[in-house]
Amino acid sequence: MSDLSRRTFLKTGACAIGGLCAGGALPESVSGQQVAAHPTLSMTLPYPRLQLATVPQLARAGGLLVSYPDPASPVRLLKLGKTAVNGVGPERDIVAFSQLCSHMGGTLDFRPETGALHCPLHYALFDPAKGGLTVIGQATDNLPQIQLEVDPQGNIFAVGVLGLIYGRQANILG
Amino acid sequence: MSSIFHGADRVPIPPRDAEQFTTVCSYCIVGCGYRVFKWPQGKEGGPLPAHNALQVDFTKQQPAQSGTWISPAMHSVVTDRDGARSHVVVLPDVGCVVNRGNHSLRGGTHGSVLYAPDRPTADRLSHPLLYRGGSQLPTTWQEAIELGAHVIKAALDKWGPDTVAMKCFDHGGGGGGFENNWAVGKFFFTGIGTQMASIHNRPAYNSEVFASADAGVAALPSAYVDAELADTVMLIGANSYETQSIYFLEHMLPNLTGVSLSKKRQLLPHEPHTAGNMIIVDPRRTSTVAIAEAAAGKEHVLHLQIRNGTDMVLLNALSRLIYEQGWQDQTFIQERTSNFEAMQATNLTQDLDEAITLTGIPMGQMRQAAEWIAKPKAVAVRRRTLFLYEKGLIWGLKNYENVASVVDLALLTGNLGKPGAGCGRLGGHQEGYSRPDYPGKRPPVNVDEVAIKGGASKVFWVAGCNPAGGTLNAQQFRQALAQRTALVNQALDRASGGTMQERVAAVIDAMEQGGLFLLVQDIYPIETAKYAHVVLPAAQWGEMNLTSINGERRLRLYQKFMDPPGVAEPDWKIMAMMAQRLERLYRDTGEQDRAARFSGFNWHTDEDVFLAAAVGVKGAQEDYGETTYTMLKALGTNGVQTPVKRIEGGKPIGTVRLYEDSGRFRFIPAKWPGYPAPIQQLMKDQRYPFWVNNGRANHGWQTLYDDLRKPYVMGREPLPFVEIHPQDAMTLQITQGDLVELYNPYGSVTAMAVIVDSNRPGHVFMLFEHPKGWLNSLTTGYVDPATTIPYYKGTKAGMRRIDTLPEWQQRLTFIPTNQG
Repeated sequence: MSDLSRRTFLKTGACAIGGLCAGGALPESVSGQQVAAHPTLSMTLPYPRLQLATVPQLARAGGLLVSYPDPASPVRLLKLGKTAVNGVGPERDIVAFSQLCSHMGGTLDFRPETGALHCPLHYALFDPAKGGLTVIGQATDNLPQIQLEVDPQGNIFAVGVLGLIYGRQANILG
Repeated sequence: MSSIFHGADRVPIPPRDAEQFTTVCSYCIVGCGYRVFKWPQGKEGGPLPAHNALQVDFTKQQPAQSGTWISPAMHSVVTDRDGARSHVVVLPDVGCVVNRGNHSLRGGTHGSVLYAPDRPTADRLSHPLLYRGGSQLPTTWQEAIELGAHVIKAALDKWGPDTVAMKCFDHGGGGGGFENNWAVGKFFFTGIGTQMASIHNRPAYNSEVFASADAGVAALPSAYVDAELADTVMLIGANSYETQSIYFLEHMLPNLTGVSLSKKRQLLPHEPHTAGNMIIVDPRRTSTVAIAEAAAGKEHVLHLQIRNGTDMVLLNALSRLIYEQGWQDQTFIQERTSNFEAMQATNLTQDLDEAITLTGIPMGQMRQAAEWIAKPKAVAVRRRTLFLYEKGLIWGLKNYENVASVVDLALLTGNLGKPGAGCGRLGGHQEGYSRPDYPGKRPPVNVDEVAIKGGASKVFWVAGCNPAGGTLNAQQFRQALAQRTALVNQALDRASGGTMQERVAAVIDAMEQGGLFLLVQDIYPIETAKYAHVVLPAAQWGEMNLTSINGERRLRLYQKFMDPPGVAEPDWKIMAMMAQRLERLYRDTGEQDRAARFSGFNWHTDEDVFLAAAVGVKGAQEDYGETTYTMLKALGTNGVQTPVKRIEGGKPIGTVRLYEDSGRFRFIPAKWPGYPAPIQQLMKDQRYPFWVNNGRANHGWQTLYDDLRKPYVMGREPLPFVEIHPQDAMTLQITQGDLVELYNPYGSVTAMAVIVDSNRPGHVFMLFEHPKGWLNSLTTGYVDPATTIPYYKGTKAGMRRIDTLPEWQQRLTFIPTNQG
């Protein structure tokens, strides 16, 4: 589903996650129709579907450093231990974010004691449990979140990016 | 799927031939420089450096802090009046010495608030509106001005100048600037001649720093480089990471981390240097405190967690401690100041035990602060301390003496007119004040009380501000607006279809009964506009050329790069239209003297007004002399620091900092007066146990007029927050994200609970101006009688939990913001 439009993905893709999304598990209030209707909310590019890790690999705090959609875009994969916005996996707690601060590209540090992603450049904080919401800081967008899927075997795939990764004109370089 | 906002995943590339403009942020005092790119929709630059205006290789990942990254919030597609659609990118300027490519959340999202008919800014006011039969309906400028002018003239002729009250912007940046300020002042002071004038954020026509002016110190005496050179920076009543973000990040933090040491050694070679220290006076442990500690180490940051309303006590105690050690600057006091003895008898006799009790700050911390401010750093080498204060002090208890006490401390320690020193405002808005003299007296009349609630004025013109929510004691102000404007609504309904004379007669009749005719001039349909009879659509930043200065008096040209929506016009032009109509009306009735008062508004361009306004800044910190737009255009985002001393070869020569070679100052005694009666009454009443402080926060700007159209910001702050100490939350059984009500005899408001130990128990802090909960419904009507400046920062209230808000608990973050 790498080249699905965001709208289609929202309508059909969510319940493919982990194969555990029984009918009604997605709250009515965040239906695809509603979100896609906003013209500034759009995922427009042909994203690759790439395996990032497997669920058991995510046991340690701080998560895994991977990359997506290409090696120049560092990504942190986290298993938060509590349900997260857009979380996948059996506990819906697996999330992934660009490692580059959406203010000026500082490399983020995850601190389990605060639960936040911290930028050392200008002290921005982002909440990985809330879709990368800016806690505080000078970023002009929430932290780009990697769209994930988990297959029944526990393989974690990245399939898209919400928001523009720092330092790019488009998430897919070219 | 996601309920969290994210912008687009690509932005268009500016082509090589994109039109380019320079401008400055429309928002805060810091005034970061920006570049604007504009090019036709349907066209795009290529990803290779030779094919785009930024000369960047977009096929590759850019490094951190590249200064050329366009975030989605910096881009929009706008539609000009000829129907042409264009991409616009508003990019922070790496070449600007203020921000060096950095930007705040607020300035970095300008792309989101450019008018576009298919974006959230589509609700900009595009046409004048006139009250008709219970609605406000679109009309022409001609009709709106015609009714307004006839009503103003009739009221003026019947009751005199004070029948027309106004509350208008007086600042720089968006919604202000020298051009618009001059036109407003000329209309109300030269034309109408009213004393019933008030400034956008307060009930009177006053300076927020009368005491500093009386002491001979202009509000903005230092330069941003002084924050890099100081031994100690002292912030009083300011949360600078969130409200002067780029001043803090680009000029204060490099001092605390030692990054500016080489600059210190280069510019001040004859004295020892270390990384700077910072003292922060604030009742809250703010993000600024936490970030300063994270950057500099806790041993270089001193947070004085003061009790509400006791700033003056603290500042006087510090003066006393310094004086007792002999650390005052005796030469400076003798050569450049007067009235020392009067100050000595008050400030320097502040009882120290009383100071500990009242401020809640231990003596050890006060002594530490006194050392950091004034203990010589080597034999006969004075420490350089930069005192920067803002609304916590200005809007604290007793404005006049509060400001006096910090100026006195700076004079005592000789910290004016030299590098790394100074004593001035941090600032909220930018500045751009130029007006004919206010015809009222000092202290100025309280317009909210006398003119609006008291009924002394019968016409009220509000421009570029939202007093229905933002003024003090706002709930009662709204009630007055609702009741008084309704009388005029009914009169207009009765006279509908009548001639102009009949309609005006009906309005005058309603005014006899207490009616208020309301004109609101703004860019959005704000809350105050709901009560208006005439709504006038103004142009905003980027839709006209304007000029302003920032917190180090840096004057720049903010270029026009797009058209205003519909038939909206710059504020100066709206004032001119009304003045010219009144001039003709008075000529028609043969009243030549009256007509003459409204003459001289026949400007054709923004620059015509700028040149006319030069007379209003002569001799002031803003003095720009003979500077022209052409000169400023050549100086781009760096401009020139006023006062402009002379023009050399077409280039204005400015002033880095004030008082380096001149200036005499006067100490102003300041004695803590205790809490005023309305606050004492609340303090005695057990129903109102919580001290309520308030202020801005990082995400939003002022009344959130623009932010309401930024989904990113509203996704973070859909409701105002109130910070509650965990102990108080436990007592009241409040959990994170609960909706709570705060109430007192002045009004009530709801807010979303954020439980954090930033305040002392028994003290809460609420976001100050959010249209979903106006904090000022709780503030008392108390103002400093010497200045008519409110004690906005202190009131007391009761608090109760209403219920949980599951949606917000799910969507919002409750990670504390104050942990660096």
